[in-house]
Amino acid sequence: MELRVTESSENELSIEIAGEDHTFMNVLKGALLEHEDVSAATYDVNPEQSGGQTEPILTIKTEGDVDPLEALEEGAAGVRTKTTAFREAFEAAV
Amino acid sequence: MSEEYDVEFVERGDREARFLVRGITPGFANGIRRAMVADVPTMAIDTVRFIENSSVMFDEQLALRLGLVPLTTPPEGEFVEDDTVTLSIDVEGPATAYSGDLVSSDSLVEPADENVPIIELKDGQRLEAEADARLERGKDHAKHQGGVAVGYRHLQRVEVVDDLPEFQEPESQIVRGVVEENGELVPTSEFDHDLSTRHPGKEIRLEDVPNAFVFHVETDGSFSVEELVTRAVDSIEARATELEDAVQL
Repeated sequence: MELRVTESSENELSIEIAGEDHTFMNVLKGALLEHEDVSAATYDVNPEQSGGQTEPILTIKTEGDVDPLEALEEGAAGVRTKTTAFREAFEAAV
Repeated sequence: MSEEYDVEFVERGDREARFLVRGITPGFANGIRRAMVADVPTMAIDTVRFIENSSVMFDEQLALRLGLVPLTTPPEGEFVEDDTVTLSIDVEGPATAYSGDLVSSDSLVEPADENVPIIELKDGQRLEAEADARLERGKDHAKHQGGVAVGYRHLQRVEVVDDLPEFQEPESQIVRGVVEENGELVPTSEFDHDLSTRHPGKEIRLEDVPNAFVFHVETDGSFSVEELVTRAVDSIEARATELEDAVQL
C-alpha cells in the first residue's frame, strides 16, 4: 500500500492509495462518512485500460480544525472495529 | 463507533452455506463479498513440466486443465504468497487421468475432488508430468478463486395483511432467498419460492429488512465456508491496519 498525497489543505485532503480497489475503498469511505468531523468523503477509480490515473484517489473534507489525515487514520481504525465485530459475531454463530 | 452485528446460519454445509447478518451496511457487505471472491488466496497449479505427453492434447491445454483443479489450501500462516508445492501425475492408457491421480508432496495441498477428469488416454498414450502449485489471489486468475458462488440478498419480511377478495384470480407471488415470518427464518425453497402456495387466498405484504443481508457462500473445496468468510474479513482488516500504520508515519 503506497500512499501519495495529491492535494492537501487545512480541511481537505486528496490521497492516492495505490494497489487498492473498490473492495477496500468503499468500506473505508463508508467508515469515514460515519466519522463525526468528516463532512465529505469520496473516492474515484478509473478502469485499468483507461490509462492515466488508475489508482484510487480518496478525498476527505473535515469540519473545524480537524486534520483530514488524522480523520483518515481514525477511519481506518473504524474499518478495523467493523471487521473485529463482524468476526466475533460470525465466530459466535459457527 | 460501536458496531453490533448478529450472525445466524440458515443452512450450513461444508462447502455451501447460507447465513443472515443483521446490522451490516450494504457497503461493508459488498466489501466482504468482493474479498471472498478476489482477495482470499488459494492454491492452484501454475507451472507444469511435461515429461511425457503422448495424449491427443497439447501441453498447454493440459496445463490449463491441471490449473483449474481445486486444491485444498493450508491453514493461514502455513504458506505465504509465492510458496510452491510440487504435485506429480503419471497415467498410462487406456485409462482416464483424473485429478485424484495427482500425487502431492505435501499432505496439506491435495486435490479437493478426486473425480475431475483431465484427459482420456487411449492405448499406448501416456501422461507424465510434474506441476508446481502456488498460492495466489482470485484477482490474478480465476483458478485461485476460493469462493465460486458468493452473493447476498436482503432479508425480506412477510406479513399477512388481509384476505383476498373472494372472486379475485389467484396470482403467484415469487420470492427468492430467505424470508422472515413472525420472527422465524424460512428459506423460500421450502414453499417453492411462491408465497401464494404458502398463504392461499391471503393478501401479503413483503418488505426488505433494512441492513439485514442473507449471504449465500459456496467454496470450490479449497477450504470450508467458515474459513473463507474469516479469511475475507482478515484481508480487509489487514489492509486497514496497513493504512493506519502508513498514515501514522
